[in-house]
Amino acid sequence: MAKAARAAAAPLHSGLPDEIAIWEILVRLPPKSLLRCRAVCRAWRSATSARDFLLAHHARQPALPIACGDENGGSRYYLAAQLQPVARLDRAFCLCASCDGLLLLSEYSTATGDRFSICNPATRQYAPLPMRSDFIPLGMYRHRPSGEYRILMHREAGFLAIDGQDACYIFALGSVQPPRNIGWPQVRFSGVPVLLHGSLHWHLDKHRYLEEHWHLDKYRYLEEHWHLDDHMSRSNIIVVFDTRTETFRKICAPVVPDNNKLFEMDGMLGMSGFNDPGPIIDIWMMQDYENEVWALKYRVELKNADHLLVQFGRFVEHWNVAVASCDGDVLVLVKFGECLLQFDINGKLVCFNRKGLCLAQHRLKQTLVPHTFFPTLDGYSMNAWPFI
Amino acid sequence: MATREAGKKMIMLKSPDGMEFEVEEAVAMESQTIRKMIEDDCADTAILIPNINSKILSRVIEYCNKHVPTTGATGAAASDTVAPAALAEDLKIWDAEFIKVNRATRFDLIQAASYLNIKGLLDLTSQTTIDTISDNSLEEIRSFLSTKNDYLPEEEQTIRRENQWAFQ
Repeated sequence: MAKAARAAAAPLHSGLPDEIAIWEILVRLPPKSLLRCRAVCRAWRSATSARDFLLAHHARQPALPIACGDENGGSRYYLAAQLQPVARLDRAFCLCASCDGLLLLSEYSTATGDRFSICNPATRQYAPLPMRSDFIPLGMYRHRPSGEYRILMHREAGFLAIDGQDACYIFALGSVQPPRNIGWPQVRFSGVPVLLHGSLHWHLDKHRYLEEHWHLDKYRYLEEHWHLDDHMSRSNIIVVFDTRTETFRKICAPVVPDNNKLFEMDGMLGMSGFNDPGPIIDIWMMQDYENEVWALKYRVELKNADHLLVQFGRFVEHWNVAVASCDGDVLVLVKFGECLLQFDINGKLVCFNRKGLCLAQHRLKQTLVPHTFFPTLDGYSMNAWPFI
Repeated sequence: MATREAGKKMIMLKSPDGMEFEVEEAVAMESQTIRKMIEDDCADTAILIPNINSKILSRVIEYCNKHVPTTGATGAAASDTVAPAALAEDLKIWDAEFIKVNRATRFDLIQAASYLNIKGLLDLTSQTTIDTISDNSLEEIRSFLSTKNDYLPEEEQTIRRENQWAFQ
């Protein structure tokens, strides 16, 4: 009401009142356009630099799949459905995890192993992280009670460590404490987690895992190491990490064909399955999170598949499929040949990118909110190397 | 409260220029602002909508009429049973026609959608303005939104330098 009263005070048809222009228009701009708009007038600059505005702006940004590409020994990161890269970096980084607008990167060298760093492409902030190279990042999240961004990592004991045990560790960005050991969840898992309802989720294809570890006694292994009851041993499994309590649990996943991917869409957990030949992409949604009820929501049959194969090349690999939602529309991304193709929910080709990008399952929800941990990190830089 | 058909509550909306619009309660409740008034029992007879003239209010009602979820005999939302994809496609075409208005009307619709808190209408009306801002130069943005440049030339240069990459 107060907002509307202020709006009414402005003269009619002279443009938009500042209040509306700022809180209804500027707040919806992509970060790059918003930064440019700071040069329009003083009122816009001061309003769009305030923390409450930046938080509202971040909340409105879509969480889109990231596509990566190499470029002259450097890295480029794109958001699905956008032609301009969100970041170009002067190093061949590997993308390990993402949370909100932050990317956890690693760079490998034979001398030092993996070296980790954190960056925010929208604010062009970058800092190396003091993480040991034998840690394997599993996911990144915001720990609500403390407001800290934290990295969940795994460390294998290795063959030589006699007393060592596999364990998960938590490292808080900007903290001087060493990573904290939180024990072992009894399940080996990997891949890109999906953040939903304050928990990270990894899909575990149990059958594929058992095939890869053929030497194990399957049933004994399931019973002893996965602690599965009858109900769970028949379905696939999702490993859940509660980011508030920092504990693990397991829930059921639908038994869909191989090549499935977990994702978040419209506040629900989803799973896509790729059926080849077809090609058909099945999209399952977890309609009732509490009771673990899944339903097949869409069956996307890619239109003119034969023509696509001729025009773009062969469908590459099963991991090159991503499903996301943008402005209420479902996007289906599939890699054919060197091209990244985007389809709508009816399987119609919407657009394509020929730049030889690979799909990462990681999502980026861009943010211009200044994070306090950045300046505390050794080697922190802004608007400088490795950004191009 | 007026009733037109059995089971359909009607609400009277009044614009400041004296026009009255009788609409179904469900249609009016597409506006979260009006929904709250009704739920808080502040809407016995008629609701005066300040700041929004009759020309704009009638367009807003037209939008809400089109976008209100239609209910079947069982009370279940029809959009769950009638091919949702076809319905959504139809709405998109309708929206595209609806938004073919001049700049002044569009700005009035943005303000009305903001005050009445109608998310769909706000998304629709603000998108073209967002596209204009994203695609144009600072001068064009200022002229489009009738915003005055109150920076000294050197100040503007400094801000451009601070965010240099955004101008590339």
